Amino acid sequence: MTETSLRRPGRRPPSSRGEAATLRARRRRLQPRGLPWIIPALVLSGGLIYYCIGYTGYISTLDWDGISPDPTSVGANNFVRILQDPVFWQAVQHTVLFFIVTFVLQTFLGFLFAVLLHSRIKVAVVYKVIVFVPVVLAPAIMAPVFRQLFAPDGELNWVLQHVGLGALAQPWIGQTSTALPVIMVITIWQWTGLTFVLYFAAMGQVDESVLEAARIDGAGNIRTIANIIWPDVRGTTVALAILSAIGALKTFDIPWLVTIAGPNEATEFLGTYIYKMTIQLDHVGYAAALSVILLIVALVMAIGFQLAGREREVRD
Amino acid sequence: MFEARSPLARVGLQLLVTVMVIPFLFPLVVMVQGSLAGAGWGNYAAVLAVPGLGQFFLNSVIIAASVIVLVYVVTMLAAYGFAKLRVPVRELWFWLLLACLTLPEVVLLAPLFATDTALGLYDTYWSVVLPLAALQVPFAVLLTRNFIEGIPTELFEAARVDGASSMRGFLYLVIPLTRPIAAAVLIFTLIGAWNDYLMPLVFLQSTDMQTITLVPQFFQGEFSNDQTKILASAVLTALPEVIAYLCLQRLFERGLSAGALK
Repeated sequence: MTETSLRRPGRRPPSSRGEAATLRARRRRLQPRGLPWIIPALVLSGGLIYYCIGYTGYISTLDWDGISPDPTSVGANNFVRILQDPVFWQAVQHTVLFFIVTFVLQTFLGFLFAVLLHSRIKVAVVYKVIVFVPVVLAPAIMAPVFRQLFAPDGELNWVLQHVGLGALAQPWIGQTSTALPVIMVITIWQWTGLTFVLYFAAMGQVDESVLEAARIDGAGNIRTIANIIWPDVRGTTVALAILSAIGALKTFDIPWLVTIAGPNEATEFLGTYIYKMTIQLDHVGYAAALSVILLIVALVMAIGFQLAGREREVRD
Repeated sequence: MFEARSPLARVGLQLLVTVMVIPFLFPLVVMVQGSLAGAGWGNYAAVLAVPGLGQFFLNSVIIAASVIVLVYVVTMLAAYGFAKLRVPVRELWFWLLLACLTLPEVVLLAPLFATDTALGLYDTYWSVVLPLAALQVPFAVLLTRNFIEGIPTELFEAARVDGASSMRGFLYLVIPLTRPIAAAVLIFTLIGAWNDYLMPLVFLQSTDMQTITLVPQFFQGEFSNDQTKILASAVLTALPEVIAYLCLQRLFERGLSAGALK
């Protein structure tokens, strides 16, 4: 991006120095001022968001219930309390675990679907639609469906009992050991379609002749996929990792609506914890401090991914 | 990519995909089947008979449409400015916008709540439209800027030589030429706004302002946990999204994946 912005428009090398100077002057005169054009976006997006971040930073130093007119300032006390808060650390643990599991499984499933649907499967479009439809459905609307599906007398247990695995039937949502996996399964159900579509498109750009050459050299299906296709779509994998990581930090709808972040905080995420603290428990100052930490984590992560991506490019 | 030479292998692959999609289909089957349990189609009749269901849809349409218009206008202007016009410290502004990409919306709750009540915006469409649009703009600008940078600068210069102002260049060059990327922006903004749950949950209190993502909750109160009717309402609210997707399949898939592909 920096490269494009530094380059002056127009690529023709000028023939003489004098001409170059006039050309540059003309170009400059011809390129009108752009600041007024970007101001609406800066005001709407930057203005609103940075205003909120600044405000959050201020609230995070208060002991405030969100209503009282004169909150007391407590300095960094909220942050100290957060670091000693076991629920906070639980939420962090859940987020990390959630990211790793959902990312790995989504990548595996999405990649496999993409490879398979590139393999002259009949009625491929039907499979494509089935896998992608969850992406467009609102998690909030699907939540009641999953509450029923995973209920003690729900469809999952019914299926298990009818295929002879009745011993596995259990109250999936109601016990701490399975609640988090349920949230992961729902998320994977929802987002594998996106992973699949991205890989599917990326694989369409793999050079056919390279594949053919590999085949002629005797490479089997597995080798072709592992040594040619998988490295070729690495850019997509990196993009998906960033999306998944940001998604994990933003997780709110599904744990809130399916398990109410429980039982016993088993599915507590930073998003649900902040929501609870802000709206239900009126610890607005504490929630703001949590928000600040969440923001810093998100930003550090984004920069980290950016740097890692750049390093990779240099090495190639 | 898999090369299946023998008919047996081909059947095997087909079987594998079929088995793999079953878990994806399962919740949808449960949803439809559950909505028809007990009273059958009567569940749908009962749900449709509840006054106000149309209002939820209308609110979602109003909010999504406003967000889309706002995002589209602001994004096109900014992307043109960033890509083709002279902006001092351009990259600084750009990165300031991009940093907002990672922002979880829950972070905005407390400050927005305090500000909305102070300005009297609480429980109005604005309290949801503005933050949703603000959160969508950075990504939209990123995509559109990259797209406009691909348009040859000579085109804009030629227009200027012919006496066109930058506004005319914008209206007659940028707007028509960016149609493909505008479609992508439209789709992911639509999905983001239409499916959002947190903002309407917190900022829209009165029932006649609420959006379709709050419908299941509304019906939990209305039918005191009659699961079949709740599922019927879920099917009804999901239906427009599924139909829209089936009609504009390509556009949806491209729109949602536009950011990750070159």
